[in-house]
Parts: sequence; C-alpha cells; structure tokens
Amino acid sequence: MSITYLEAIREAQAHALRDDPRVFIYGQDIGAFGGAFKATKNLAKEFPGRVIDAPISEDAMVGLAVGAAIEGMRPIIEMQFADFSTVGFNQIVNQAATLFWRTQVPCPITVRLPFGGTSGSGPFHSQSLETIYAHYPGLVVLTPATVEDAYSMLLEAVAIDDPVIFCEHKYLYYHLKAEKLPSEALPVGKARIAREGRDMTIVAYSAMVHEALEAAAELVPEGWEIEVVDLRSVKPLDTDTVMASVARTGRLLCVGEAWPWGGVTAEVIARVASEGFGLLDVPPQRLNAKDTPVPYHPNLWTAHRPTAHAVAAAARKLLRL
Amino acid sequence: MLQTVLDADFVGDATSFRDTHLTAYRFMLLARMLDDKCAGLYRAGKIHGGVFIGRGQEALSVAIGLALKKTDVFAPLIRDTAGRLAFGEPVVDAVRTYLGSVLGPMRGRDGNVHRGRPKEGYLPMVSHLGAMISVVNGMLFARRMKGVTGTVGAACIGDGGTATGSFHEALNQAAIEKLPLVLIVANNHYAYSTPNDREFACRNLTDKAAGYGVESHSVDGTDLSACLKIVGDAVARARAGRGPQMVVATLLRLCGHGEHDDASYIDPKLKASPAGRDCLKVAEEHLLRQKWADAAAFAALRGEIVREIEEAVAQVQREPAPDPFTEDWRAISTGHLNEGHE
Amino acid sequence: MPSIPIIMPQLGESIAEANIINFLVQPGDTVEADQDLIEVETNKANMNVTSPCRGRIEKFTAQLNESYAVGVVLGHIEVTTEEASRLGFDVPAPAKTGDTDRISAPDGNGGRNRVQPTVRGLPVPANAAGASYLSPRLKARMDELGLHAADLAGVAGSGAAGRVTVEDFERFIAHLEKQKITPASFMRVAVADAMRRSWTRPLAHVGLPVCLDPLFAFRKVTRPKPGPALCGLRALAIALAENSAPAGRLVGNKIVHPSSIDIAFAVEAEAGVLVPVIRHADKRSLKDLVVPYDELVELARQRKLPPDATGGSIATVTNFGTFGLTWATPIPLPEQSLVLGIGAARRTPSWDAGKSQFVPVMEANLTLSFDHRVIDGGAAGRLLMRIADLIKHPEQL
Repeated sequence: MSITYLEAIREAQAHALRDDPRVFIYGQDIGAFGGAFKATKNLAKEFPGRVIDAPISEDAMVGLAVGAAIEGMRPIIEMQFADFSTVGFNQIVNQAATLFWRTQVPCPITVRLPFGGTSGSGPFHSQSLETIYAHYPGLVVLTPATVEDAYSMLLEAVAIDDPVIFCEHKYLYYHLKAEKLPSEALPVGKARIAREGRDMTIVAYSAMVHEALEAAAELVPEGWEIEVVDLRSVKPLDTDTVMASVARTGRLLCVGEAWPWGGVTAEVIARVASEGFGLLDVPPQRLNAKDTPVPYHPNLWTAHRPTAHAVAAAARKLLRL
Repeated sequence: MLQTVLDADFVGDATSFRDTHLTAYRFMLLARMLDDKCAGLYRAGKIHGGVFIGRGQEALSVAIGLALKKTDVFAPLIRDTAGRLAFGEPVVDAVRTYLGSVLGPMRGRDGNVHRGRPKEGYLPMVSHLGAMISVVNGMLFARRMKGVTGTVGAACIGDGGTATGSFHEALNQAAIEKLPLVLIVANNHYAYSTPNDREFACRNLTDKAAGYGVESHSVDGTDLSACLKIVGDAVARARAGRGPQMVVATLLRLCGHGEHDDASYIDPKLKASPAGRDCLKVAEEHLLRQKWADAAAFAALRGEIVREIEEAVAQVQREPAPDPFTEDWRAISTGHLNEGHE
Repeated sequence: MPSIPIIMPQLGESIAEANIINFLVQPGDTVEADQDLIEVETNKANMNVTSPCRGRIEKFTAQLNESYAVGVVLGHIEVTTEEASRLGFDVPAPAKTGDTDRISAPDGNGGRNRVQPTVRGLPVPANAAGASYLSPRLKARMDELGLHAADLAGVAGSGAAGRVTVEDFERFIAHLEKQKITPASFMRVAVADAMRRSWTRPLAHVGLPVCLDPLFAFRKVTRPKPGPALCGLRALAIALAENSAPAGRLVGNKIVHPSSIDIAFAVEAEAGVLVPVIRHADKRSLKDLVVPYDELVELARQRKLPPDATGGSIATVTNFGTFGLTWATPIPLPEQSLVLGIGAARRTPSWDAGKSQFVPVMEANLTLSFDHRVIDGGAAGRLLMRIADLIKHPEQL
C-alpha cells in the first residue's frame, strides 16, 4: 500500500475530525464534491455537518473561523488555491494574527493553502505566499516537504492554539508517495537534515527540498557531499539547525520557490550572516523564482522557478569559490 | 409568537416600558458624559492616539445593547459607548483602555474603541470595517454546532462600512447559514468626511439586505422609543429563528470622526433636518412629557454619573501603565513556537 | 542586422576579471575576425580582446579603466546576416559538455532555449596573492588559533583566484602538527607582530661605504667616548632636522610630518630587540648625548626602560656591525618610515689619488631602509649621503 501527500492531508483531516469534535472544515467545494484537489474526499459523508461548503468569500470564511475559534472550535479553512487567500488576507493578518496579542484569547485556526507551481497553472494558481504570512507576527507558517510531514504537521497544526498557515505544495500532491503514515514525527519548529553532507549546506523547504536533494545527487559524481536542510516550518524558523549545518560545511545556498524580494531565503541568509558570520567560507547565496508573475507556458515555467539543475549550477559556483 | 415576545417586552407591561426607557436614558447619558470626559482627557493630553465618540448615536446604540442578553454576542463599532455600557461593559474598562492601564482588558496593547472581552461574547473591533461581522457569524455558527440555542449576535457598522467587501461577504454568509445575526447600520451620513452620495447609490441602505434575502428595517435613529422598538423587534426575530436581520437607522453624527476632526464638512441643512436632532434631548423631552422623570431627577442622575466617571478616571490614573521591559513580547500563545525576542 | 556581443574572455587560470585600458577601435569601425578590439590588463598581464567575427563595431558598453568579470558583455558588433549565419551565430550555440552554469529548457524543445539560474556573480576579490581574501570563516578560525594572514603565506590556495579556503587551511594546520613545535616567547611574538605589520609596506634599501678614520680619531680625543651607533644617530638627527620630509608617514593620501626629531636605537636584549628613544636628538650635542645614551642601553638590557623612553620616535638606528655583519636590510618599525643601519668596520684598501696608491682605511657600510611610498631612491640616497658626510666630519656632530 502507498499513500500520496494529498491522501496524507486527507487522512490527517479525517483523523482530526474523528478525534476532536471541535474540528470542522470550511471551504469552497469541499463538501460532497470533495474539494478542488480532493483533499476532503468522502469526508462530508463520513462527518456529516462538519465539512461545509463556503461561498466564494475568502474574507468571510476566515472571519467565521476566527469567531468559531473564539467559541472554542478548531476550524480548518481550505483555500482553494493559496493565491486566493489574498482575498481573505485581512482577516488572517489583522484578525486572526492579532487576537491573542490583543486579548490573550488564542485563535486556533488552520488555514490550508494549496500553493506552489505546477506546469500550466499560470499567474493566479501557482503562487507561493509563505513569505507574506511569515512576515506577520501571530502566525505559524508550515511548509511540509514529505508525505509524513504533511500528515503529522497538519495534525499538529490543528492541535496548535494559534493560527497556522499550512502551505501544502500542489506539485507534491500526486507526485510524492510514501509506504505508510508515520507513527511519530519531529515537532513543528524543528528543521530536518534531509541529507547529510560535508561540503555545502542547501536550505530548502517544501517542493524545493526535492530539487535540492536531486541537485545533491547530481553533484555526487563530482566528489561533492551536499547537506540538505528541510526547514519544515518557516515560522518559527529553526535557526539552530541551519547554523549547525553551516558550521559543518562553511557554505550556504538557500532555495525557495517564492519570489526573490525579501522572503524566507533572505531571512535565513540574514540570520546566518548576522549570527554566524564566522561560519561562512564563501558569501551565502540564494536561489528563488524570478521576479515576475508565475508564467503559464511550461518552457517559461520551468525557467521561472529553481530546478534541480539550477540548484546544482548555483551549488557548483559556490563550491568553486 | 413573535408578537408575544414583543408585547411582553415593550407594550403589554406599562411599568416595564417605562423602566426600559429610563434605563436606556441612563446609559445614553452615561455614554454621552463618558465620551465627553474622554474628549476632555484627550484635549488635556492625557490620552494618546485618538478619541472617538458617539454623540448623536446613543439612542440606536443603547437599543442594541439593551436588546442583547449577556449570553449573546456583540461586536460594537466606534460610536457605541452607549451600547457597550448597556451590554454590560463597566465604565472602568473604557477608561482603562483609553488611558492604557495595564489592568484594562487590552493592557495597553490596544487602545480607545478597540476593546472587548471575546470570551464574554464582547468582541474587540479591528479597524478594518466590515471585518467583525463574519467573526460574529463564526461565533453563532460554532454555537449552533455545539447545540447552543436562543443566542443572537449583533454587529454594528456605519454607512461607510456597507461599501466594504467584508460587509457583503459576511451578510451573504449569514443569510446562507440562516444565522441569528442582527446587523445595526447607523447611517450618520458621513464616512469620515465622505457624504452618502459618494458611498452608495441605492435608494436606501436596506436595499443591500434585500439583495441577500435578508430582512431589513428602517428606524429614526434620533428617536429612542422607535429604536427600542425596531431594534428589539429585529433581535427578537433573529432569536426566533427568522435568520439575519438588518436595521438601518437614519441619524447624524453630532461630532467629528474623532476628536481631532472639527467636522466642518457637515452640511448645515442636515444639522437642521430631523436627522440632526440630538437623540439625548429627544429622549429627555419624551421622559418629561410622559412624566416618567422631572428636572430634579435628571439633575440627580447627572450628579450620580459625574461621580461615577470621576471615580473611575481617578482610579485608573493611579494604575500602572505597561512596562516595555516586563512586557511579554510574544504574539503566539504556544510558547515554544515564538521566535526568540530579546 | 544581427548583433554579436563582445565578451570579456577567460584570460588565464584563476583570473576572474580584467581592467579596460584601451579601446583599439571605435564604434563605427569595420573590423575583421580575430582583430584586436580592446586592450585589457589583468593582475598578471596585458592582453587584447579580439573580434569574434567580421563586422562593424556597433557600440562599447564597457568603460575605460573599469574592471569587468569574465563573461561580461563589453560591446556589440553588427554583422551581416550571411556572416552571422556562416558563423552559426544566428542560432544559440548548443551546450558545451561541462557547461554546467547553464540549464536546459524543458525536453522536446531542441535545446534552443537556455536560461541562467537566478544566482548572481559572487563578489570574491580576485587578487593573485593566495591569502588576499580571507573568508569570515577562515578569519574566525585563524583568530581562534591566533594566526595572521602572514602565517598563510606558504599555503597554496585552491579557491577562486588562488584563495585559501578553510579546507586548504585545515590541511595546512594538520601538516604543521606533524612537525616539531615549540612555543614562541612573548617578545618573539611582539617582534613578529611589529615586523608583520611593517612588512605590509613596500620597503626599499640603499647603502654606501663610509670611511671611519676621522670618527675614530675624533673618539680618541673625546670624553665621554661616543660609540659609532650614537654618532650615526646624531648624524641622522641633524640630517632630518635639515629636512624632515623623508621621515614622514603616508596615511591615505596625506603625508604626516614628524613633530620632533626623536630617534630610537636598537638594543639586543634576551630573546628580542628593544628600541629606546633619544628625544630631540637634533637639539643636543653628541657629547651631551653619550651619558643618557649609555644609561638607556643599560636600562634596555635590564628591560627596565621607563615609559617615556620608548615609543613616539620617527626613525631608528641599528648597529648590526656589532654582530660582525657588513651588510643588512633592516626593517623599519611599523610606525616609522626609516631605519639607518651601520655595518662592521674593517680595514680596506682605498685609492688615494694624491699618493697614486691604495692606502688602508677603516670603512663601514651605511644602509638606509625606507618606505618607498614616502620617498624614492634618490631622496633616500641624498639623506644617506648627508649622514655619511657628517660621519666623515665628526666635529660637526
């Protein structure tokens, strides 16, 4: 038996619904239809009245979740695409994210963002928005890269007493498979060494972890041992694990699918440069998508985002310094 | 059944009818005098930021505050001092929030009208207009899931706020879910300085509710009796399962947007129109006419309120302000998920 | 018409950039393939960038006296369609094997589209000297071990432009640890530190022999008796009082002139060298200086120099002749620009024009080491000549 990243997300939700009567899911087309990506397939039938179709009103969807959370519920909001969460942005960053700070009343909502590029999805169904959410205080931003993490981190997201932005990568939905669901997991807030190495650290998260791992494999015949750090959660950011890795390797490349200005990769480099300057043997580098909207055509799309080849090329540059 | 409810509350029992008016009047006067005190403290440099008062809107505001039960949900807006007090907010909460006392509900982290106690169903507004309505929806939605019945949620908004997307999304959402939401729209004719004709083009704001299949009601916002009746009616309908209700009150803001604003843009013709009447005076005259109160009673009430407010202000001014060195600078409740801040 | 870029070529192993020093053709000029277009200099040599094809210079985008990294476009050549087609410039070149900085467009596109990953050039200074760029990590590691850049002089760097990477450094350290190691004394480390700092400057040396017979004659009749080092010190002081410019220090684009003629002299003490100072050596006669000089020598040997007798001097005298040496190139102190050296005196034949024969004379070499940024050989030579002249006429001291 094997299970995909998407099925893991569905299973985690089923698990949460089963274990905790406070959990419900609210989103567009998620009821009988089972969601645009089928992340809630059959859940409405299995949990009547708790997997609820929402109107196309992202603002009101999140607002409702905040209200329900105040009442002690643990709502999961499914955004059909991360891109559309900008319509509900105000409620996420000004309502959900400020509630605890202002009133000491926690706001345990989980907002699922199917994000990231898939070929042919174009400018409005491909965005990576972890950066803008991580920018706001009061939010936890998770970016699972594996089937196991998709499952265990979503379960933990629902259990966390704070608003969680759960960034699930659409490309990984069907492309990533595991043998079975995990029985134990690293806690949220801890990064993972996805591959051990000696010569360089590549820090990545979500789908880019797989590009980084492929790049690392590509560099093996050339004699390089690349360490790959999977951030898992971008906020909080596990600076310690990153720093420890850079202390071993002296070289740092950060890879993100989001746009280059600011962002997670910039944050990692800023922290390493300011707190671990003496660990660096070469200037730290970052590799991001291009600073344009995400293009539609596959030729443009594969060039827009970092690929394993691009990661390997950037790594070679760093290794040659 | 609805009629029975209304009769019991407002018509059938003459004593109750009089008492409701007297109670309402007391909250209106308390709100007016508290607002004025805050404005005075602002002009004396005691209050940082801004002061936003509800002069001219007390009748409508007190009506919703009184119509709600303590177990209901209330999301007031910036001109709802009267409604907040009537819903049960102690005077000291308002003063503490304005003066930034660390003992207040917001502990200096948020100020002025941004105050509430969410766990008591009393929501602290964010500044983004319309954003509180869907939160009320969520609380009602959750209560229904939990099997809590007979509960109502009220959200207040102005003519300007009805132009936001949030307002429309939330009203539509409440209609779809048939939530016991009561939406109180105070059409005070100005969104900050922008007059009605630059905010909406429908004949009446009640038309907006019709578009979503929501029942709506108009009321003269300067007339306390009318407000008590219409708002009370709407709350009773919502409580009785008739789905969301919208009440649009016509009135005039008898002050600036905030105390920094001299409101010079308000049309003198509007001030002279029926909408420009001061609801507090109208209520006072009504009570005198009905012989439910006399000048001596009003004077005694004023004296009592002055003492209550002065006491609260004196107390709060002795209370500690927040200390940045001992402040808990964590925006997330889950301790270990906060990033380290020195 | 197609436009072909002129690219900064790879001008040698480990060269990352080159400076434009001359445009050999002008925009509008017709050029042949392989014709020299731009003269560039690297830190190793001057070379010419040549034309990739026949055509007309459309424009230069590079600026004179600016440096450009290898691979940067310096300008464009307009070529005819036929020429472009003949040279295959009309289609993007297929990827060369090992052209790892470029990645392929998606399959099925004939490899026509090439894209660069969005990683920029890395600003590592590309100087030829191996230890010229020290990364933060390397610096941190060196600090940890108390090492200086000079200690890396013998390490062959494997990084860009011969940079010493941390891996090179660790190999070097591992190699050292296989050899006999003794701790250096505090004094040794202090001298080493001063010399290392001084050595960051371009130091040059001039020297000449001087006849000491007049000086020896002078000493026989003078009490207390001045030594040759003190005579040299006094001569140097007089010469610098006449013109203090050679003792100035260059800081940035300014010369800092000495404020008083305070001259130091080297005294060998156990495991190092001390340099006591004679203040205002130009203002006191040689005779008056003998006693204080001897006292300072004694205090230095006992390592009991008072604080006001050290530091703040503008030049130093060292009498390496006491070791029997006739020639040396001493290094000035880091805060000084000059050091006067005096070699051992020896009897040597000297041609006497009056007698038309060689006569025996006592002669010693004088050396002057100087910061070539401050003065040139001529000025140094004139200063040394003046000193020699004073020593030959000791009554003037």
